[in-house]
Amino acid sequence: VATTKDRSEVLQGTLDLMVLKTLDALGPLHGYGIARRLEQVSDDQLRLNEGTVYNSLLRLVQEGWISSAWGASESNRKAKFYSITKTGRKQLARETESWERFSGVIGRVLRLGTDH
Amino acid sequence: MLRVLLSRVRATLRRSRLDDELDDELREHLAMLQERFVRNGRDPSEAFYAARRQFGGVTQVREALMERSALPRMDVLLQDFSVAIRSLRATPVATAVAVLSLALGIGANTAIFSILNSLLLKSLPVREASQLVTLDSVGPNEYFEISYPVWNQIRQVRGFDHSFAWATDRVRLSDTGEATFAEAVWASGNVFEVLGVPAALGRTFAIRDDSRGGGANGPVALISYRYWQQHFGGAADAVGRTLTVERVPFTIIGVAAPSFLGLNVGTTFDVMLPLETEPLLGRTPERLEIATWTWLQVMARLPPGQTPESLTVALRAAQPGIRAETMPSFDHVEDRGRYLRAALIAKSAPGGVSRLRRQYGTALSTLLVVVGLVLLVACANIATLMLARTAARHDEFSVRRALGASGARIVRLLLAESLVLSAVGTGIGLLFAQWGSRLLVGQLSTWAYTAVLDLSPDWRVLAATSATTVATAIFFCVVPAYRAAGVAPIDALKRRRLGLAGNSSALSGGALLIVQVAVSLLVLVGAALFLRSFTALAYRDLGFDRGRILVAVVETRRSAVPPAGRVELYERVREAVARVPGVESAALSMATPLGSAGVRFTPDITAPANPVFSGRNVRILTNPVSPDWFRTFGTKILAGRDFDGRDRAGAQNVAIVNEAFATHYFGAASPLGQTLIEANSPMDRRSVEIVGLVQDAAFASVRDPIEPTIYRPLTQRLDERWLTSVSNISVSIRVAQGSTSARLAASVAAAISGVDRDLAFTFQTLTETLSVFYIRERLLALLSGFFGVLALLIAGIGLYGVTAYSVNRRRTELGIRMALGATPRSVLWLVLSRVLMFVGLGVLVGVGVSIWASQFLASLLFGIQARDPVALIEAATTLVLVAVLAGWFPAWRASHVDPASVLQES
Repeated sequence: VATTKDRSEVLQGTLDLMVLKTLDALGPLHGYGIARRLEQVSDDQLRLNEGTVYNSLLRLVQEGWISSAWGASESNRKAKFYSITKTGRKQLARETESWERFSGVIGRVLRLGTDH
Repeated sequence: MLRVLLSRVRATLRRSRLDDELDDELREHLAMLQERFVRNGRDPSEAFYAARRQFGGVTQVREALMERSALPRMDVLLQDFSVAIRSLRATPVATAVAVLSLALGIGANTAIFSILNSLLLKSLPVREASQLVTLDSVGPNEYFEISYPVWNQIRQVRGFDHSFAWATDRVRLSDTGEATFAEAVWASGNVFEVLGVPAALGRTFAIRDDSRGGGANGPVALISYRYWQQHFGGAADAVGRTLTVERVPFTIIGVAAPSFLGLNVGTTFDVMLPLETEPLLGRTPERLEIATWTWLQVMARLPPGQTPESLTVALRAAQPGIRAETMPSFDHVEDRGRYLRAALIAKSAPGGVSRLRRQYGTALSTLLVVVGLVLLVACANIATLMLARTAARHDEFSVRRALGASGARIVRLLLAESLVLSAVGTGIGLLFAQWGSRLLVGQLSTWAYTAVLDLSPDWRVLAATSATTVATAIFFCVVPAYRAAGVAPIDALKRRRLGLAGNSSALSGGALLIVQVAVSLLVLVGAALFLRSFTALAYRDLGFDRGRILVAVVETRRSAVPPAGRVELYERVREAVARVPGVESAALSMATPLGSAGVRFTPDITAPANPVFSGRNVRILTNPVSPDWFRTFGTKILAGRDFDGRDRAGAQNVAIVNEAFATHYFGAASPLGQTLIEANSPMDRRSVEIVGLVQDAAFASVRDPIEPTIYRPLTQRLDERWLTSVSNISVSIRVAQGSTSARLAASVAAAISGVDRDLAFTFQTLTETLSVFYIRERLLALLSGFFGVLALLIAGIGLYGVTAYSVNRRRTELGIRMALGATPRSVLWLVLSRVLMFVGLGVLVGVGVSIWASQFLASLLFGIQARDPVALIEAATTLVLVAVLAGWFPAWRASHVDPASVLQES
């Protein structure tokens, strides 16, 4: 288990993007499933109170980028499943593009000096 | 944005189901998480806590989601308010201080705003008031009014078919004895048709009533609703009754609509009469004939497609014709030129015309700024109190947060408290405003002018008051809310007994203190300026005694005595009055100081000894007086003699002059024995010898420099021509020690009627006459003084509160200092120096702003400069004294902290 220092805080807004991408990649998921997936892909590098996932979900639902429906989980529990909508996909494309541009810039800035 | 809002609205409609669903969702998540920990080999009870640690605060998440998923819930809002009220009631003294200062602040603002609103912003209650324009005649002498001959020309100009003229007048309703007056308006017959004002009873008058001698119904009159209520008790048969105006019967044909107070905003009328029937009164001069009698005000309704500017252009084209047609018979060429050049201008006037507006508009706007500043001080003060309360409630807030309240919820709680405070303050303030605005308007009334304003609140007043309420609430909760929202849940668990005050709290509290001190100083400087200005005016030496003089203006037109015999009649009146017990002396004169008889300026006086000056370069006032006049008024005779029995008509013409006259004509040389040439007309030139020099005394104005004045014996000056045109005389009475004006009036009245029972007269003390001229200054001094003290009091309470609070917080620290050997004196200084630092900064800022802002008061001040250093020093000293006093008590208490008990507590 990594110590607190090694983990990074999740930026507000970034979490929304990650949730959106997760739903795009894996199809309908419940909150618990999204939390597990994030844990798995981040290799335990993210410090995250799982409750905050629900903040993201509420925001995305309110924007109309994802929708929700009740269903049964793998262990046959009652669970709310979230899935990405058509406008959500468009938003994801926009966000992904701008994130890549942004992280590219940051990366270049951070490499400055080491190249010379 | 819109989508989010819609989603929240939808969620609000299905709230309880969504709340349950959210609970289910979160519960299942936790259960799955817990199962996972168990699967990974944790102990079930351990897994329970591990799941919750990983999830984060369950209630916090839940509350945050519920709050954000839908619109705020009514019951939660109500809950906020009930919590707010509960916590306000827990600190009754602080709450009472806050509510009271807000009530005064908001009340005063509403009162003054509603007066300004009626005076400046409201439109006349007539049809399409926005189409109304006034016509002003603007000349070098600033004549605002228009003569009848000029009006007669104007109404024939194209585009002025819908114009009407009116004049305000004061008429006598009884003939003899002590007179009763009514405020009359003479108006052209089309006025009601153009304005679209209906009658409440009977009918309004029309063009057919407006003809010389009256129309088919004879002379008619319309009375105001107010007059109808007050003098006819609202009786339906008032219509058809007769109203006797200056001995001429007028038939009442109707009562005006209650909302119609006339066209002069700020006052009202009792009776309205057709303009063309004025000559029936037989007054001289003939007001409908003479082009120099400028007494009419003219308004017009804009024809379609016209603007005030295009009307002015039309007037300018017509002006030469109008002026040439109406040229009065001036003796001097320059007067003719001045008359020709006086321009006529049309100005938009949806609010009618108003003398009150001209006189008090600036003063009232200034007062609005003053009370606005007081409100600012009150808000800053409440903010300080709230800040202290917030700090004291640190524990409460952190417990609330630990129990799941979000930062937003805490801010809402504080906002609710603020709103409750300002709403209660506004409620009480509105009552105060109702009473205050009526009181204030009442103060503007004088014997010569009845101030009446429609003060019923309209949308502007309501909007301004609600905006003020909300703005104040937000203003004084912003800083505390910002602070409270930052409280962390964990704080509640920490023991914070050490009592070391945080720095940031002291800083924002300090900033608020500086604002309070600076703004209070600004208000105080204004108050000091107005007080000093009023004192300078009220105690100015006007050259006569104010306190003991009663003036009776006697009207002789109804007397059987012909004009030629009136001088003798006046003398008999004077002797009769002088014999009344309690009268020390009595004197006759044409003019009295600032009296209603008015002042007269003689056209031409030259001194052969110094031909440079004449009455044409400088205004020279002539006042014909009887012997004893100077003794009666207490004006000192500096050299020479008073008039006496020798100075009869036909004897050597003599005069007494004042110092200003002597200086003007003769410089430092003695005027006694000098000769003047008095030219009343080219045929009437008299040689007059100066026999006396008296001290300067004011006649025309209490403000302006005293003008050169020449006194002449009544017997020599009042010739038959004068006596025919002027039928009144003033009898001035010096009241003996031990008697009062009120007691004397009845016996003096009996004495006057005893000489000739057809004489009519009015009484007025000189004090009453003068009071009119001080109203604006007195009002400004009184109100700004009151609000200055209020601001001082509020700032004082604020300083005291903040100091007491910080002493409380620093108790432990101070105790330790004292235990380590600090003397009470040094502790006292420690606390006080902090207060003084803030006060000093506040005073510095305040002085700077005052010096800049005082320039706007210059036009309202008399006898002092706007940057009067004395006022500034007075204000700053008062403020610092109060601040030291406010800081002293808590500081003194701090220096008496018992170190032992403090250390035990910790």
